[in-house]
Amino acid sequence: MNASVWPNAGVANKPAVTEDALKIFTTLLLASVALIGGAGLSFGADKTEISVARFFGACEADYGNVTDVNKGYGECGIITAMMNKFNAESPDTHVKVDIVEWPGYDQLTARIRSGEPPTISVMHESVISDYQSRGLLEPLDDGLKAVGIVASDFTAAAKAGVIKDGKIFALPFDTHTWLWHINLNLFKQAGLIDSAGGAILPKSANELLAQAKQFKEKTGKPYFIMVLANETAAYTRTFDTLLYQQGADFFADPNKVKFASPEGKTALTLLKTLYDNGDITKNEDYSATVSGFAAGEGGVMINGTWLVNDYVVEAKKPGVPLSNGYAVAPFPQLYANPKVWADGHSWVILKANLTDAQRKSAYSFLKFLWDNDFQWARTGHLPASQKVIDSADFKALPFRSVLAPLSVNGTALPAAVRHQFGVQDIEGEEVASAMRGDKTIDAALADMEDRVNKLLQSK
Amino acid sequence: MALAQHMVGRSLGDRVILGAVVALAALWIAPVAWVVIVSFKPNSELMMSTASALHPPYTLKNYTDVAATSGVFHWFLNSIIVAGGATTATLILASLAGYGFARTDFPFRNVLFVLVLLGLAVPEQALIIARHQLFTDWKLHNTYIALILPGLSNAFGVFLMTQYFRSIPKDIDEAAMLDNASRFKIFWRVLLPLTIPAQATLGIFTFLTYWNDYLWPLISATRPEMFTLTVGIASTQTNFAQSEGLGFLMAQAVFAGLPVFIVYLFFQRYIVQAVAGAAIR
Repeated sequence: MNASVWPNAGVANKPAVTEDALKIFTTLLLASVALIGGAGLSFGADKTEISVARFFGACEADYGNVTDVNKGYGECGIITAMMNKFNAESPDTHVKVDIVEWPGYDQLTARIRSGEPPTISVMHESVISDYQSRGLLEPLDDGLKAVGIVASDFTAAAKAGVIKDGKIFALPFDTHTWLWHINLNLFKQAGLIDSAGGAILPKSANELLAQAKQFKEKTGKPYFIMVLANETAAYTRTFDTLLYQQGADFFADPNKVKFASPEGKTALTLLKTLYDNGDITKNEDYSATVSGFAAGEGGVMINGTWLVNDYVVEAKKPGVPLSNGYAVAPFPQLYANPKVWADGHSWVILKANLTDAQRKSAYSFLKFLWDNDFQWARTGHLPASQKVIDSADFKALPFRSVLAPLSVNGTALPAAVRHQFGVQDIEGEEVASAMRGDKTIDAALADMEDRVNKLLQSK
Repeated sequence: MALAQHMVGRSLGDRVILGAVVALAALWIAPVAWVVIVSFKPNSELMMSTASALHPPYTLKNYTDVAATSGVFHWFLNSIIVAGGATTATLILASLAGYGFARTDFPFRNVLFVLVLLGLAVPEQALIIARHQLFTDWKLHNTYIALILPGLSNAFGVFLMTQYFRSIPKDIDEAAMLDNASRFKIFWRVLLPLTIPAQATLGIFTFLTYWNDYLWPLISATRPEMFTLTVGIASTQTNFAQSEGLGFLMAQAVFAGLPVFIVYLFFQRYIVQAVAGAAIR
């Protein structure tokens, strides 16, 4: 092994590398270098360019050239049309759109760390604290005021979402929250329809359990369709809603959570009872619940504002389980107050060495987004603008007048709580463990509290 | 029909084995077939029922939507450049290193070889933050170099090539030396052609690793014009693509998977040879 393969090879008589071989080797190396040589695209324009990072997907095939926002449909269609319109109409600004995979925070953090952040990025309000607490976001108060936007224009939920330490750190775009999507046809079969033809919704936990029992007896189907597989967020949103409604201030200290409480036990006991009674569909992931509700598998699907339009369209089709039988309502008040989990999309300006022209362009774009908040509300999300919420146009959209109170009752975790996506995952995992019976309710609450507190201790 | 022909004249044991193999193959192909079928269905129908995939109407819209995404062919080119460049460079470096470890003697050779092998035990995730910091300091993010360079220290490649060179009898080198061949000529003209199966295996694995890589491109190639195909197509998905855009999602999967399929199709002979050869050795 250690013997030289060139036993006779000294310095003087070591075989020489031939010219041909060198040529071949050099060619290969150059080919490799040529392949790995960088090449960039350049954007040539007279306008000031700003970059805007967003998720919501790409739909250029349908909306690549659409500048009439009224023709946009769904999150992707509306935001694409909006940005097309801005670029078409703005005399001095070009927005370069950087579309990222949802939610995009790994990539955003990497961009910030590598010194190449986008000028503007979309951001969940629950994530703002993570970036704001590290000094990565520009306060927007003065800039927004200069373009005519002030915090008093925001809805209560939006204000809570974007104002940190008394300053505005993001332009709110919407509030999205937890709804009950209701199959009225099955509710009718279950005898849970009032004289006006609307769904009779429970007003307490006991009423909910009684309704679920009645529903199953009359229809043979579970009352709830819930996302329980490959998911943590849905568990957390429902659990938090039940805590809020009981008035539990579980984040009284933003650095230390309290889940192991009577309210926590009550909420988890209710969810587990529904699960054990067979009142919730089992083992369904997100897409299974969405199609399951359309197929009439259960009475109520707990999901977000973003699905309203799709089911409105489905309910207009003849001969399907939802035909003329779809309604939607805020998560009903089961305890002392009507609060419901909420989050929101917002737009932030990342701290960077922006020129005056870039900063001016950034605020003109934010102003454009704000002026189009109604258009965005067509997605199903609730607008962040109080003026839009109060408008006749908004109330004329399907079910929006019923949902409008959520702009007040929608409740997020306190602004100072960091790592909210991580907190959401831990909560969801522990709620799932308790519902399945992998852990006792007390053990799940204790583990939830312990794990979240450990997370909050990290930087 | 073909299966029935294969069954004729075979013993019961052979038939059972053949039937089991066919059943396993069908089981394996079922999800792939499902992906392809779903990719031809309108998204709105799939959102309400995936069972609709089993009957018409079918559409090409998901594929035209993929093709209409402005960046998709640029991302495809980026992936070709990155995977192709990395494969070429890896083959050169791993061959040279493998030859060095197998055929030359130098101080601390065995220690160095063990150090190289230790690289096999270090997962990429353990290094990725430090690596990102390093490339930030070098201002290399959003370049092809940043996408290719990290994988070139390929411990598996060096190990594979070293073992392959070691398995070639040294008599061959000595015969070439008697013919006054230079060291490089022996490496290039005599030994390297004998390692083609190993080169093919390493080349395929390297190409596929780079082609499918997601994590490093996600945080290094952050400008859309530098996205690779994996990051690019992921960026085009809507927030609830698994329900609202399932057909589009599957069409993207087929589009991204085709080159990999073609690589396997053309080179599977080499993979089988190399794996079988390695097992025998």
